[in-house]
Amino acid sequence: MRFIKQQWQLGAVLLLLVVLQFAVRPLIGDPRIERVAPDFLLLALLVYAIRARPGQGAIAGFFVGIVTDSLSPTAFGAGALAHTVIGYLAAWGKVVFFADNLFVNAVFFFVGTWFRDVFVLLIGHHAQGSAFYWQILYLSPLKSLTTAVAGVVILVIFRRWLNIRIHE
Amino acid sequence: MQIAPERFASRRDTIAFLICIVLSVAGRVAPVDVQRDIASAITSTVLAPFLAIQEQVSLALGARTDFLEDVAVYDSITALAQQTRLLAVENERLRELLDLSDRLPVQHVSAEVLYQADPRDGLALVISAGSIDGVKLEDPVVAPGGIVGVVKLVQSTTSTVLVWMDTEFRASAVIDVGGEEIFGIVAAGGSAGLDTWLMELRGVAFRGEVPVGATVRTSGQGIVLAEGINLGGVYPAGIPIGTVTDVGEEREGWSRTYQVKPAVNPLSLSHVIVLTGPAWEVGVAFEDNRP
Repeated sequence: MRFIKQQWQLGAVLLLLVVLQFAVRPLIGDPRIERVAPDFLLLALLVYAIRARPGQGAIAGFFVGIVTDSLSPTAFGAGALAHTVIGYLAAWGKVVFFADNLFVNAVFFFVGTWFRDVFVLLIGHHAQGSAFYWQILYLSPLKSLTTAVAGVVILVIFRRWLNIRIHE
Repeated sequence: MQIAPERFASRRDTIAFLICIVLSVAGRVAPVDVQRDIASAITSTVLAPFLAIQEQVSLALGARTDFLEDVAVYDSITALAQQTRLLAVENERLRELLDLSDRLPVQHVSAEVLYQADPRDGLALVISAGSIDGVKLEDPVVAPGGIVGVVKLVQSTTSTVLVWMDTEFRASAVIDVGGEEIFGIVAAGGSAGLDTWLMELRGVAFRGEVPVGATVRTSGQGIVLAEGINLGGVYPAGIPIGTVTDVGEEREGWSRTYQVKPAVNPLSLSHVIVLTGPAWEVGVAFEDNRP
């Protein structure tokens, strides 16, 4: 019974993140800022994957990726591939870190977002030359940072539902 | 949800991962038409409610932006219209001043008001004419409507004018009633509202009957009190001071005080004229500006 309740709680948080992706990002308005705005969809994937088995993480990553590919006009499949890898590695990463630690989660969100961007850029050939480096060394870290901050806020708010330890 | 127990990926996880990889690669290398069909199917089904939310948010954002732009345009137009109206008013004042300047039979200098009179500021105007322009102490200051005050402080390029609203102001006045001249002394009479200041015509002999609506002008005579104190402030004759609006109270049994509506409101002036030369009668210059 407790397990089912926790499943519902996690599902609610993930749904909230998906809604935020479509309801909050348009509010940012300015495209220059929107490019570094938090990626709530990826955040949902990471929050789920770190609590799931690697296979489940990979499947979730695939679906998140195919959704983002559907919204992106170019390089269909690149997002699915990148998110599959990210989802699988995120779930697998439980072996090497504590998934209930807030700071570890923040770092995890930052690295996961940055890796995802690098994967998508490499696989999809979205940017080349200086634009590629500009993207992965400036814009992607900024987006990773905002995503990590948003993730921490979500974890703090829903810490009881997600079993997050605020104090050691 | 409990965090899954730490363990390496099982064969089943690996197979799921590989299947996802294969499907992703297949999607990546699929023909563009197929990619487009898949994307279309996803956006029209799974993503439809979320895209609807996004569309509504974008519409709301756009509506807000349009509203703010409309408000900005409206504000700009309003500001422009206000500025145009102010320019027209100032233009009219300058024309009146120019006309008066042409008619004045006395040496004078025009000046801009640098410091608007305000009840909190000692009832004084600072004007842009000083000693190098020929301005001297006690020079009368007038506007197209009539009397404004007298110069009380002169510096090289600016002067300070004591306006008639100040309690120290006095001017010898005369009223022409059917050919008979009735004399009195005009002084500030307090305010009847935030921007409505009044004058008093004092010391009018009891035998003189001043009708409401009579025009009060400077008499050209100096003001010397009974005690022999000369208050100065000699203005050339004929400068409009105001209009009698009320028959006032009787004082000391021999004189009356009348309420006078001033011809000029110093609070609204932007330019004035300082009469720098000697003159006895300048009334003809104000013939078109009788209050």
